[in-house]
Amino acid sequence: MMETLMISLILIPLIAAAITFVLPVKWRGVCAFLAALVNFLIAVLLFRKETTIIFPWIGWGIDFALRLYHFSGFIILAVSFFSLLISLYSLEFLKNKSSARQFYGFFLLALSFVNGAVLANHLVTLLFFWEGLLLTIYGLIAIGGKQAFKTATKSFIIVGASDLCMMAGIILTGYIAKTLIIQDIHLGLDRLGSLAFILLIIGAIAKAGSMPFHTWIPDAAQDSPLPFMAFFPAALEKLLGIYFLTRITLDMFKLDSHNSLSVVLMAVGAITILLAVMMALVQKDYKRLLSYHAISQVGYMILGIGTCLPAGIIGGIFHMLNNAVYKCGLFLTAGTVEKQAGTTDLDQLGGLRSTMPVTFFCFLVTAASISGVPPFNGFFSKELIYDAALERGKIFYLAALIGSFFTAASFLKLGHAAFCDKPRREDKGIKEAPLSMLIPMIILALTCVFFGVFNRIPINDFIQPILGRASENHNFAGWPSSLPLVLITIAVLAAALIHHYAAAKIKGSGLKAADHIHHAPVLSAIYRWAEKKYFDPYELGVKLVNWIAGLLSGIDKSIDWFYDFFTVKAACGCSMIIRKAHAGYYIIYVVWALTGALLVTLFAIK
Amino acid sequence: MLINLILLFVLLSAAVWTVMTTRLIRSIVGLAFTSAVLAAVIYRLNSPLAAVFELSVCAGLIPVIFITTVSFTHRISKEELPVARKERLVRFRYLPFIIIAAGLVLSWCFKIPQFNLPAAGPKEDVRNIIWYLRHLDLLGQIVILLAGAFGVVVLFKEDK
Amino acid sequence: MTSLFIFAPFFLLVIINFPLGFLKGRCAFCLAASLLLAQVLLAAFHPWLFWSAYPDCLRQFFGFPLAVDNLALIMLFVIGIVALVSLLTAQDTLAGEKQKFNFINLLLVALIGMNATVLVTDIFSLYVFIEVTAMASFILIALEKGKFAIEGAFKYLMLSAIASVFMLTSVAFLLLTAGDISFAAVHHVLTNVPGSFFLKLAVGLFLCGLLIKSGVVPFHGWLPDAYSAAPSCVSVLLAGTVTKISGVYILLRLFSSVFTLTPALQNVLLFAGAISIVFAALAALTQDDFKRMLAYSSISQVGYIILALGCGTPLAFVGAVFHFFNHAIFKTLLFVNAASLEKRFGTTDINQLEGLGEKCPVTSVTSLVAMLSTAGIPPLSGFWSKLIIVMALFSKGRFIYAGTALIASIITLAYFLSLERRIFFNKGKPAPAAGGTATQISRGLNPAKNFSGIACAEILLAVFTIAGGLGYAFMLNTWFLPLKAIWH
Repeated sequence: MMETLMISLILIPLIAAAITFVLPVKWRGVCAFLAALVNFLIAVLLFRKETTIIFPWIGWGIDFALRLYHFSGFIILAVSFFSLLISLYSLEFLKNKSSARQFYGFFLLALSFVNGAVLANHLVTLLFFWEGLLLTIYGLIAIGGKQAFKTATKSFIIVGASDLCMMAGIILTGYIAKTLIIQDIHLGLDRLGSLAFILLIIGAIAKAGSMPFHTWIPDAAQDSPLPFMAFFPAALEKLLGIYFLTRITLDMFKLDSHNSLSVVLMAVGAITILLAVMMALVQKDYKRLLSYHAISQVGYMILGIGTCLPAGIIGGIFHMLNNAVYKCGLFLTAGTVEKQAGTTDLDQLGGLRSTMPVTFFCFLVTAASISGVPPFNGFFSKELIYDAALERGKIFYLAALIGSFFTAASFLKLGHAAFCDKPRREDKGIKEAPLSMLIPMIILALTCVFFGVFNRIPINDFIQPILGRASENHNFAGWPSSLPLVLITIAVLAAALIHHYAAAKIKGSGLKAADHIHHAPVLSAIYRWAEKKYFDPYELGVKLVNWIAGLLSGIDKSIDWFYDFFTVKAACGCSMIIRKAHAGYYIIYVVWALTGALLVTLFAIK
Repeated sequence: MLINLILLFVLLSAAVWTVMTTRLIRSIVGLAFTSAVLAAVIYRLNSPLAAVFELSVCAGLIPVIFITTVSFTHRISKEELPVARKERLVRFRYLPFIIIAAGLVLSWCFKIPQFNLPAAGPKEDVRNIIWYLRHLDLLGQIVILLAGAFGVVVLFKEDK
Repeated sequence: MTSLFIFAPFFLLVIINFPLGFLKGRCAFCLAASLLLAQVLLAAFHPWLFWSAYPDCLRQFFGFPLAVDNLALIMLFVIGIVALVSLLTAQDTLAGEKQKFNFINLLLVALIGMNATVLVTDIFSLYVFIEVTAMASFILIALEKGKFAIEGAFKYLMLSAIASVFMLTSVAFLLLTAGDISFAAVHHVLTNVPGSFFLKLAVGLFLCGLLIKSGVVPFHGWLPDAYSAAPSCVSVLLAGTVTKISGVYILLRLFSSVFTLTPALQNVLLFAGAISIVFAALAALTQDDFKRMLAYSSISQVGYIILALGCGTPLAFVGAVFHFFNHAIFKTLLFVNAASLEKRFGTTDINQLEGLGEKCPVTSVTSLVAMLSTAGIPPLSGFWSKLIIVMALFSKGRFIYAGTALIASIITLAYFLSLERRIFFNKGKPAPAAGGTATQISRGLNPAKNFSGIACAEILLAVFTIAGGLGYAFMLNTWFLPLKAIWH
C-alpha cells in the first residue's frame, strides 16, 4: 500500500502532466491544482512512514530504487505543500497569459521529477530525475517569451555543466563504494573520496543556486513566468539542493569539522551570502532583487551545513525550510504586484500600501522573516547558524552578520520604495489581488509566524530526527540559548533600520537609500563590472567559446583560403612563370636541350 | 699530332666564323672552308673515301646550291643594318657560358682515364659494315630524298 | 610479308604520283584510307598466315631483317588508327584539293618512316627512319606556310638536328664498339662489357636524342610551338604518333630489349618523367590556346610513360605501353576536337570560344570523355593505365614519384575541367553585337555544318576510349600483359 502511494507520488503528476498537454487551455490549471492537491494528500499520508522499494531497471546493478524515510518524507511534504500553493496561485496569475499553455505541464513534470529525485535511493535513479529537472527548467524558462530563450539556454548550460560534474561524481562514488544504493554508501574522505565528494557537492550546491552557479537565476527572474521563480529557485531547488547536500555530508560521506573541505564549504557559503546580498542591495527591480536574495540565503544554508556542527546543520535545514516559505511568499507578492500594477520596476512603483493592504501585510511578514526579525522563523534558523558559525570562526559569523545587515537594508529599501513611497506615476485602479492569489500568500505568511513562534514543531519533529543520535542530548528549539548573539542580531537590525531612515531622509526617497553604497568609490566600479557581467562565469565562458570559435573559424578559413585561393594562385603563378619562360626564341630551347643533354649524358656515364 | 691539333683548331675557328659572320656569302665560304678542313681531318684518319665525299658534297655541291639561293635575296636597308647586327650579337649571349660550362664539365668528366677504344673491336672493317651490310636504310634514304622533293614542292613552289 | 608495312605505302606513294589525273583527289584519299584500314585490321587481328607465308621468289626483295612482336603490333595499330583519323580530319579541314593531296603524300612518307621505325632491327636503320619521319613532319607542320607554322617547323628542325647529331654519334660509337649494328649485337655487347665508357656515352647520347624527340622537359621547347602552329590534322598526327613513335616508342623498345637500364638511367628517366608531368601540367594551366594546352598536356602524359619506363619493372613497362596506347587515342581525340572547333569557329583561342556545347554536341561530349580519360577518371581507359603505373611505382618503393603522378592528375583535371567549362558548358555571351571580339566567333566559317569525317573520327576514338576503359581487363590480358616477355 505504501509502496503504491510512494510510486504514485511520481506517477500521478506525470500522468497529470500528460493530461494537461491534451486538455483545453482553461482546464489545464485546474487539472494541475487537483494533481497537486492529491500529491499533497499522499505526502501527508506518507509523512513519518518508512519504506523502500526496488525494481530491476537497466541491469548491471542499475536499479530503480526508492526510499521513503523521515527526511525524504519531510522534503516531499514541503515540496507538495509549495506546489499546491503555487498551482493555486498560478490559476489566477497565469489566466489569459500565453505561457499558461505549457506552464502546467512542465510544472507537473517538474513535481514528478522532484518527487522522484527526493525519493531516489539509487544514484542512477537520482541522476535520471535530476537530469529530467534540467529539461523542465529549460522548458519553464523558455516559455517566458523570446528573450527568455537565451536565458533558458544559459540556465541549461550552467545547470547542465554542474550536473555533468555530479554525474562524474556519481560514477566515481559508485567506483569507490562498489554500490550505487545511496543507503549503503558510507565513504571516508580520502583522496579519491574527496574528489567524488567535491563533484557531488558541486551538483548539489549548483542546484541550490549557490555562487558561482547562480547567474542564470537573476536573468530568469526577469524573463520567466513568475510562478516558476516562486516554485523553482525559491522553493524546490533549495529543498532539493540542500536535501542532497545534507545527504552527501551526513550519510554518504562523513564530513566532520576537522576536514578542510568543511572550511571550503563554509567559505563558499559566506562568499555567496555577501556577494549576492551586495548585488541585491542595488537592484531596482522587485523580482531581480528577490532573486539575488534567493542566492544569498543559500549561503546561510551551506554555511550552516558546512560547519558540521549539530546546531549548524539543524539551522541550515531549518533555514532551508524557512527560506522556502518566506522566499516563496516574497515572490508571490512580487507576482501580485506585477499582476496588479503591471510592473515590477521599483522606479515606477509606490504607494501600494494603501491599495494592496493584504499584499503589503504578507510582504511585511515575509520580509521581516528573511531579515531575521524575531519572532519570525528566519530569526531562529539564523540564530542557530550564527551559533555554529561563531564556534567555527569569527570571520564566518561576521560574514553572516554583515549579510544580515544588508538583507535588512535591502528589504527596507524594497518595502519603502514599493509600498510606502508616494506613487511615481498616477495609476488609477490598482486593486487588491483576487482571493486565489491572496490565499497562498496569507498561508505562507502565517507559516512564517507559526514556524517562528512554534519553532519546536519543525525542529523537533521534522529536522532533529535527521541527525539521529548526534543531536539527542541537545535542544535546539525554543528561544536561542545565547543571549549576547540575540542582542547583537537585534543591534544589527536596528542599525540597518537607522541607516535606512537616515539615508532615505538625505536622499529623499526609500529607493535611493542604498545609492551611497552603490556609488562608493571602489564598489561602484565593481558594481559596474558586475552589471556588465564580467563576473558571470557563463558570460565569460560564452566569450571564451566565441573567441575559440572565432579562432577555429579563422583557422578553417585559412585552410579554405589555402585550398581555394593559395593553391590556385600558386599553381597559376607557377604556370605564368613557366609561360613567360617559353618566350618563343628557339635559341633558348636549344640551350635548355643542350643543358639537359649534358646533364643526362653525365649522369648516364657516371 | 701537332698537325692534327692545328687542323682541329682551324676547323673550330672556321665553324665559329661561319656562324658569327653577318654576310651570307661569307658564311657559305666559311662553310665550304670548314668542310674542306674536315675532309682533311677525315683523310688523316685514314678514310679517303669519306674524305672525298665530304669534299665533293659539303665543300663543293652544297655551297653552290646555297649561293644560288642567296642570289635571289636582296640587301637589307641601311637603317635596319645596325639593329640586325645587334640582334645577332644578342642571340649569341649564351654561347660563351655554354662553351665554358661544357669545357669545365668535360674536363671534369675526362679525368677518368679511359679514353681508348673499347676492347671488343669490330670483327671486320667498319667501312665494310657501313657499305655492305645496309639494305633497309637505302630505302629510307630514298624516301628522305622523296620527302625533300615534296618539301620543295609544298613549301617553295609559288601558287599561281 | 612484314615488309609490306613499309613497301605498301611506298608503292602507293609512287602510284598516286604517276601523272594520271584520276588518281589524285578522291581516289588517292580512298586508297590511302583503305591502306590504313588494312594496317589497322592486320595489326589488330594479325592472321598467322600473313606473317608466316613467305613466297621464296620475293625473299630477294622483301627479305629485310624486320621483326614483329606484340609491342610492334600495338604500335602499328596505333599508327594506323591515328593516321586514319588524321586523314579524315584533313579531308574536312584542309583547303583545296592540292593541299589535301600533298598531305596524303607526306602522310604516306611519315607512315613509311613510322612503320619502319617500329619494325627495324638495327640501330642505323632506326636512325634513318626516324629522320624520314622527322623530315615528313617538318614539311607537314609548315604545310599551310603560315608565319607561325614555319617558325614552329623551324624550331622542330633545329632541335631535331641536335637530336640527330646525338643519335648519329651514339650510333657511331655503338658501331665501333660492337662491330655490328643489329639490336642483338648491341645488346650482346652492352651486357658483356658493362663498364665501357664509350658504351655508356653512346647510351647517354642516344637517350638525349630520344628525349628531345619525345619532347620531355627540358627538351620540350619545340613541342608546343610545333603542335599549336601546325594545321589541325597535322597536330593530330604529331601528337598521336609522330613524336610518340620517333621518341617514346624507341625509348620503350631500346630500354626494354637493347640497352640495359642501369640504376643511374632509371633515376634519369624517373626524374625527367616527373619533371615533365608537373612542369607541363602547370604550364597547361594558364594557356589561352586550346591546341597549346593540349600540347603541354601531351608533354605531361609523355612524362607518365617515361616515369613508368624509369621504374624498370615488367609491370611498369606494361603500364607504360598501355598508357602510350591510351594517350595516343585520347590525345588524338582532343586534337580532333580542336580541329573541329578551329574549322567551325576559325580560332582555338579559349577566350573567344564560349558556350559552344549546344552548337557542337558531338565535339563537346567526346572532348569531355577524352579529358576525363586524360585526367585518369575511372572507368575510362586513362585511369587503368595510370593505375598500373602508380601501382608499379609503389611496388618498387618509389613513393615520391607515385605521389607526384597522382597529384599531377589533379592539376590535369583542373585545367581540363576549367577548359571544358569555359568552352562548352558556359552559357555563351548574349547574341554578339556587331564588332568587337564577338565577330571572332560570328566570323566562324561554318558553325552549324556537320563535318562527317571529323564527327566520325571523334565518335570512333571516344568509343575506343570508353571501350578501353570498360574492357580494360580483356585488353590488358590479350595485348599488354604478354609484353612482360619483351622486358629483357
